[in-house]
Amino acid sequence: MTDRGSKIVRVRGIVKDFRPGFGLRRKRVLHGVTFDVQDNEIFGFVGPNGAGKTTTLKVLMGLIRPTEGRARVLGHDVGESEFRHRIGFLPENPYFYPFLTAREILDFYARLSGVPASDRAQRVDRLLGLVNLGHAMDTRLRTFSKGMLQRVGIAQALIHDPKVVFLDEPMSGLDPLGRVEIRDLILSLRSEGKTVFMNTYILPDVESICDRVAIIVKGRIRHQGQIEDFLPTDRRETDVLISSLPPETAEELGERFDLEMRGLGERLELRVGEKDVSGVLDAVIRVGAEVVSVTPHRNSLEDVFLDAVRAGDEPGNDGGTN
Amino acid sequence: MGALLRIQALATNTFREAIRNKLLYTLLGFSFLMIASGVLLATLSYVEMDEILQDMGMSAIRFFSAGIATFVGIGLIYNEVDRRTIFTILSKPVSRSEFLLGKWAGLTFTVWLQLALMALAFAVVSGLAGAPLSSDHFLAIALIGLELMVLVAIATLFSAFTTPMLAALFTLGFWMIGHLTRDLHALSQQSDLEGVAAAGSWVFQLLPDFEVFNKTLEAVQGLPIGAGEVSLAIVYAVGYTGCTLLLGSMIFSRRDFK
Repeated sequence: MTDRGSKIVRVRGIVKDFRPGFGLRRKRVLHGVTFDVQDNEIFGFVGPNGAGKTTTLKVLMGLIRPTEGRARVLGHDVGESEFRHRIGFLPENPYFYPFLTAREILDFYARLSGVPASDRAQRVDRLLGLVNLGHAMDTRLRTFSKGMLQRVGIAQALIHDPKVVFLDEPMSGLDPLGRVEIRDLILSLRSEGKTVFMNTYILPDVESICDRVAIIVKGRIRHQGQIEDFLPTDRRETDVLISSLPPETAEELGERFDLEMRGLGERLELRVGEKDVSGVLDAVIRVGAEVVSVTPHRNSLEDVFLDAVRAGDEPGNDGGTN
Repeated sequence: MGALLRIQALATNTFREAIRNKLLYTLLGFSFLMIASGVLLATLSYVEMDEILQDMGMSAIRFFSAGIATFVGIGLIYNEVDRRTIFTILSKPVSRSEFLLGKWAGLTFTVWLQLALMALAFAVVSGLAGAPLSSDHFLAIALIGLELMVLVAIATLFSAFTTPMLAALFTLGFWMIGHLTRDLHALSQQSDLEGVAAAGSWVFQLLPDFEVFNKTLEAVQGLPIGAGEVSLAIVYAVGYTGCTLLLGSMIFSRRDFK
């Protein structure tokens, strides 16, 4: 994926400290977060729970003020409110006034977003249809499931036809069919020329739809780049799952071959380089151990993600580089 | 124009939410009971029965209206933050000041509506008891409406940065003190200590003076309520409400929503 154009979101050195309670020491949750989102791309902001994804998004939405650093969206400081008619936001686990119907809540958000009265009803109906809630337009939100509320959340984020859409865990609470639908919807937003910023920890979704990715762990950006940078490389490896392997043979394999070993209960998983696969299999079969499976390994975003998380978990390593 | 439409949308929504609050109906029901019970209380006296009936009725209106303004108002902002509905609202082109104004306007409209219902109950009870009713009675009730406008602003201010429990304590505290500030001021001015007198004046300027809006005695006794007093009450209500909401906006705009 090539650079699609200008930088729509610019985040520079964002630091955020929170005081957990009165009189307690401040806790730093974001450590100089820096990244850019370019025009008309789907940007995946990936990290484990508690990494700082939602805090970063709240800074971008002006819901919390950074302790240090600057963030700009569409050329405006995030503290301003005037440019917000050009952005849409889906918070994590959205909640809406339960006494309103789906149609009424979208009408409310359309009014707040300055959608002209003449377009409002038509746009509300169209969006509810788009997120497959056409059948529940006049149903009160208190009866909605989590997945249905998520769809309302996506609809309200798009009600004013924004240029940039910020989605916090957009697939949360959706069944497999719903996830496919929302994935297609996000792709269609890009086709319409919109930019999508997506917080998530569901890596297959990121792999399948994002153009660029940033991985955040413990409040620091560990990796960022084009999605291709994270996907299969030339290095080919195979996962070999073995049972009943004597410990001395396992030790011998470790010495003879360049491989990674991981215990899975009574089984052992070996990640073996392409040239060593037949040698390892010969050695295993010779001692009478059982080969449970042999699976070609595809280096993926998951590996990079897990490596970044593990690096962040190492004692004394709460830092990283951009 | 856009800001006004957004404030109107927020106010309408606040009104729709407030009228679903069961506490509002409980307090409204009690106010009707108290207004009606004035008839019983009046029978205990041989003189000034009408005055007792109407004094009781207007006091009930003031007391229960203040209760509704306080107990519905204290959760106004807190609930939006707690339920995270504020996230989607503030992601729209809505400034925090507009949000606060919309919430205040919606609740003020709600308490004015319940005030109108109480006034209707007061008029019905007075009519049934044969007590005289004049325009001054309704003027006095309208002044209670101005008092409620200020009280909702105070509840909104506290709701913008503290918990409902503390906001209730502060708001009710302000309401009670607001009816005593003149007495407190007068007392402080009698002090021999210059500092006490100065502090008394300073506190009097800062705290609300709700007695500006209290014309119950005049209405019940058939005394005239001067146009100057009404004008002063209007200016005072608008000014105090404006300053309170401005302070609330300044505090609210600095808040982080975790």
